Amino acid sequence: MVLAQILLNGILLGGLYGLMALGMALVWGVLNIVNLAHGALIMLGGYVVYYLFTLGGIDPFLALPIAMVVMFCAGFALQWGLLNLVVRSKMLNTLLITFGLDVVLTFTAQLLFSADFRTINPSYAGSNFPLFGLTVPIVRLAAFGVAVALAAALWFVLNRMPLGRAIRATAQNLVAARLYGVNPRVLYAVTFGIGTALAGAAGGLYGMISNLTPYIGASLTAKSFVIAIIGGLANPFNVILGGIFVGVAESLTALYLGPTYTDVISFGLLVVVLVLRPKRAVRAA
Amino acid sequence: MTAAAATTPAPRTVIEARALTKRFQGLVSVDAVSFAIAENETLGVIGPNGAGKTTLVNMISGTLTPTEGEVIFEGRNINDVPAFRRAHLGIARTFQVMKPFHGMTVLENVAVGALFGRDGGEKSMAKARETAREWLEFTGLGRKIDLGADSLGGPDRKRLEFAKALAMKPRLLLLDEVMAGLNPVEVDEVVELIKTIRGQGMAMLVIEHVVKAIRSLSDRVMVLHHGQKIADDDPATVLEDPRVIEAYLGKRRT
Amino acid sequence: MMKRWTLIVAVIVAVALAFVPLVGSDTMIQFGINALLLATLAQSWNILGGFGGYVSFGNSVFYGLGTYGTAIAMTNYNLPFGVGLVVGVILAMIGAALVGLPILRLRGPYFAIATLGLNGAMMAIFSNLPIAGSNIGLVLPLTRNDTMFYELALGLLAACTLTVLWISRSRYGMGLIAIREDEDAAGTMGVNATLYKVSALILASIFTAVAGGIHAYWSTFVDPASAFDSTLNVRMVIMCVFGGPGTVFGPVIGSFVLSTVYEVLAAQISTAAALLFGFVIVLAVVFMPRGLADVVKGGKGLSWRYFIRNIRENRL
Repeated sequence: MVLAQILLNGILLGGLYGLMALGMALVWGVLNIVNLAHGALIMLGGYVVYYLFTLGGIDPFLALPIAMVVMFCAGFALQWGLLNLVVRSKMLNTLLITFGLDVVLTFTAQLLFSADFRTINPSYAGSNFPLFGLTVPIVRLAAFGVAVALAAALWFVLNRMPLGRAIRATAQNLVAARLYGVNPRVLYAVTFGIGTALAGAAGGLYGMISNLTPYIGASLTAKSFVIAIIGGLANPFNVILGGIFVGVAESLTALYLGPTYTDVISFGLLVVVLVLRPKRAVRAA
Repeated sequence: MTAAAATTPAPRTVIEARALTKRFQGLVSVDAVSFAIAENETLGVIGPNGAGKTTLVNMISGTLTPTEGEVIFEGRNINDVPAFRRAHLGIARTFQVMKPFHGMTVLENVAVGALFGRDGGEKSMAKARETAREWLEFTGLGRKIDLGADSLGGPDRKRLEFAKALAMKPRLLLLDEVMAGLNPVEVDEVVELIKTIRGQGMAMLVIEHVVKAIRSLSDRVMVLHHGQKIADDDPATVLEDPRVIEAYLGKRRT
Repeated sequence: MMKRWTLIVAVIVAVALAFVPLVGSDTMIQFGINALLLATLAQSWNILGGFGGYVSFGNSVFYGLGTYGTAIAMTNYNLPFGVGLVVGVILAMIGAALVGLPILRLRGPYFAIATLGLNGAMMAIFSNLPIAGSNIGLVLPLTRNDTMFYELALGLLAACTLTVLWISRSRYGMGLIAIREDEDAAGTMGVNATLYKVSALILASIFTAVAGGIHAYWSTFVDPASAFDSTLNVRMVIMCVFGGPGTVFGPVIGSFVLSTVYEVLAAQISTAAALLFGFVIVLAVVFMPRGLADVVKGGKGLSWRYFIRNIRENRL
């Protein structure tokens, strides 16, 4: 029974992990940018929801769409004003610039929000309901639902809408964007904006489940990266599945080895996956 | 480049492919192709795009491992030998998609070949530069040695690829479309260069679309079509073969 | 090819720096020790990162191993400082080989991200090692001799820079640069990429570990948080990239400039100083992707056109 509960927790948490990785996978697959500031963007999204909730008094789940719009604009501006200037240079350079962005965002957050732990704590935060003898936490279940819904929405946009077709064509070939009558610069900014909006949603949900500090970015980036590799860059649902895989692995590690090793396990998974399946790693790059 | 022409009576086989096959996720790119090239011999390889020519070269140079079959170099199976060791054995190649080292000068690009080529290359930087200079003079880039490699235009990049491979002092030289994109005058120049280095003990495999060049360079011509070898004979015979004309030359005329 | 006068200037500067303890104040010497050690870190990072093109965010691990090797040898076994350094270096070299062999098979972003987790993993391990004082740390014997530490740090930076100078002119360096520019092409030309990459990481780990050992003895205190300080990675990467990755003197100049600016800013607000590093790397990648060294090389012909051209080359 304990095991079943642990598995359920892992699956619910894993859905959120998948959502974290969704934006990174999208940006990586289409723009060929491995965004090392992705975790910092998740962190920012968390703070946006936090302040909408504490200062604005808006229910955090209702604040999510607002935060996504805010983060979309931020992401659009970032790509348009900065990253578009370097996208054609070596991958080394895009890695370095997003690394620098991560530092900037982290310390800006520290200046603005202080280093204190924050939690998004609505009245129903601790409530849960029993199901087949298991305890189902409401917030985690809702977070899982939001993650799957957003993955489905992304799938729909990518596969059923003209914008999505243009995005997918651009992933294959930059010039293709023009065939769809879209300025590639705009398309890149929109894609990065969508990725950032997804990161923002993930951050808001993360803030309801765990603690927000300015420093969570780096480990969330690493986690998202691992999941993006496991799940692949092509299909949003696979990314969610990748997240569930990592979530379950972490929960089992916490159960059998102790909670201090959960971060080590995602790193270990990364190395194992990369070393066992180097061909996939090369192809995705 | 001053090495005397080999005087051995019976030419030794340098490279041999035995039923080489490469499949990519079920798609057969190269299908049981066998051939051999002896010292001082030049094998021309022609075939339409996608016929598997570059895949064949990749398997010989070690960039790809064959799905089936054997690569035999100087009597030894080298299937499991990594690319850099094959370079030490004396296999050099050019890339169809040219790969100069951008952050280096033209001279340094070629010096890498001299420093790491056959038998692990030249250990002294000064000598490697000297060797590189000689090959750059030979390929007609003598005046551009101190330029950045990325400042070279298309034809010069082809020459650079050629010089890099030659500086490795290869026993087997694999030339993958070094004439593509050159105008007729430049093609003639490259043909003359290749003729100059023939007969110095090296075996050569030349992939080319320019039929005139293939005819004048090759001792034998092999034709690939859908990954299969459909002809392997002296140039005149092959280029008159109706199957070859059907598969390759005919399509060009229409 | 490096011009002769560059070398002469470098030697003069090095000799002049050696005399700083005679005239400088205590705070100046202490600033000097920190700046010299950081420059060493940036210069060692340059070996694999600048020449080989493999961005590591995990070199602080070697600093930590050097720190702990020295501290454990000196406190637990009462060994002299010199032996402690050797222990630290050996630990770091073993660490570099163990880490390098599996993850240097990975390319580009895969390698970079795989190194991101290293520092945290090492910190977790050392926090649980009784011989390393667990998460309390170790206290080293006190030696109040800042001049000695300063000269040691200067000597280390000189040795590291001479090594990089040798690399830049050697067959070994040509192999590393070839790997950076195109690893597949380098392989078909006979470069044993695995050997070169792993040896470059080991070489970098040596100097990084010595820097850690010197810092440990100087500060007389070692704990997991200070030994495996992840901001060290940020600083060494940024200083090297800012100064000029793959050049001989760029990383040194870059770290001296940034250390000075950091010192001035940190006196005001420490967060602002950290922020500055972020902005520096963002702006450096946009405006001078080949580093300060390349800007300086332009000499008098330099104008705003240089920066515009860099943007033109890489923008969408």
